[in-house]
Amino acid sequence: MNAMMKNSRVYKILLNILPVISILLFASLWQLASKNGGIIPTPLDVYRRAGRLLVKPVNNISLTGHIWASMKRVLLGLLAGCVVGIPFGLLIGWNQKCCDYLKPLFELVRPIPALAWIPLMTLWFGIGETSKTALIFTGTVMPVVINTYTGVRLIPQINIDVASVFGATEFQTIKEVVIPCSLSAIMAGVKTAMGTAWIIVLAAEMISANSGLGFMIIRGSDVADLPLVIFAMIIIGVIGAVLSWILTFAERKLCPWKVEIN
Amino acid sequence: MGNPNKIENEVAALREENKKRKIRTIVRGIISILTFLIFWQLLCTFGIVNDKVLASPIQVINAIFTKIVDPRPDGNILIVNILASFKLAMIGFFLALIAGLPLGLLMGWYRPVDKLLRPIFEMIRPLPPIAWIPIVIVLLGIGTVAKSFIIFFTTFVPIVINSYTGIRETNQVYINYAKTCGYSNWKIFCTVGIPSAMPLAFAGMVIALGNGWGTLIAAEMLASSSGLGYMILMGRNYGRIDTIIAGMLVIGLIGLGLTTTLRKVENRVLKWRLK
Repeated sequence: MNAMMKNSRVYKILLNILPVISILLFASLWQLASKNGGIIPTPLDVYRRAGRLLVKPVNNISLTGHIWASMKRVLLGLLAGCVVGIPFGLLIGWNQKCCDYLKPLFELVRPIPALAWIPLMTLWFGIGETSKTALIFTGTVMPVVINTYTGVRLIPQINIDVASVFGATEFQTIKEVVIPCSLSAIMAGVKTAMGTAWIIVLAAEMISANSGLGFMIIRGSDVADLPLVIFAMIIIGVIGAVLSWILTFAERKLCPWKVEIN
Repeated sequence: MGNPNKIENEVAALREENKKRKIRTIVRGIISILTFLIFWQLLCTFGIVNDKVLASPIQVINAIFTKIVDPRPDGNILIVNILASFKLAMIGFFLALIAGLPLGLLMGWYRPVDKLLRPIFEMIRPLPPIAWIPIVIVLLGIGTVAKSFIIFFTTFVPIVINSYTGIRETNQVYINYAKTCGYSNWKIFCTVGIPSAMPLAFAGMVIALGNGWGTLIAAEMLASSSGLGYMILMGRNYGRIDTIIAGMLVIGLIGLGLTTTLRKVENRVLKWRLK
């Protein structure tokens, strides 16, 4: 009975209609929320505000300028995090002595949330680009190191043994076995780091900046321009989704042997 | 087969070796941390770094202890700040748990629920919780409820994703077995689906709690009058570097304590799980 119901055409059509209903539900809920209090702008307001943004940019920087400002910070911080984090993770994952000496120090800093570094970073590097990049670096380096380390530790001993049977030097073993074997774990770390980087860049820009999407949000909030805030949120969501999609794609290209769960 | 005595000796030797390695790891860790602290202290005592830029470890420890009774510079003693942050984190986390866990489980098990709610969830998911702050401030002000809501957004997403993935990965064999025994779909959901989703769901909760604690600090920096995030921001405003570092340490320690406690709970609740 149950199986028959599940295979019937009506049920299948219903399943395909549900996502549409879902979007409509979301839109009507939004409309309702904006009607009742009068504080939340309607979708149309946001659309109009976006149009006005093209004519009169925020702080004389075009929308693409703001996007690029945030993106540049994220990418720079992420790059720094990978350049430092991947070799460090490989080092403490591969060499027991380095692990014994360096991991406790890492564990000491690790539980401090990246955002808690904001006061210290602004004290050290001022409120300019350096402190923002440094902040994103602290946030991204943690997941990259942890994932690289775990990835190296999870390599089956037999893979390494094969390399040594074939007379590989330590460098060759790392290059030919350790890095490829831990690549999917490293990529997962980079993906996590990318998400963290977006959160940090927004926080950093909200606290002090004169460009970027976080700045757009806080400016909108300061002058009670909620359509601007919501528009910036939409842009942030879209970019976040696109970036994670790009990374998933890169992961598939870099480690095609990884079996997708689904 | 070898001589049983010989095997026993080998096992004992291996045990000895393992024990030695463990002790060596601990000794090396202590050496490394001590070297780090002494180096840091020397940097400060000999004035190689300006004391406006870095406080020495002794000053930081001093700051933690004086903060227990001294409300300067932010106007609250340490325990008031800790409790304020802790309360927010817990309210946000439990709200997200109550809403997110059933949602993730139902979405993972029932196709129609998935089709109906996934699109909305996918729209909210890529938004960093901090981006919600202005909207939350407009709707709810800057009080406890508002800040708990920001924690809610942070913790909600990993809880839903993990319980969803967890129940999706339920072993089909168990489901078929339950079906053969004549269980209804709802009963299979309760007795097979939910338990097998629990390990991943708990992993999601641990991630969520860690993230939530981190975001809380930002929420308190943007709008607050107490809490640990507020404390370190005030330390920054008054140029009290010792308070900032002390606050960061306390934040780190409590975060660590929260996730460790949750892991302990996990081990207790999921005792049946195969290791």
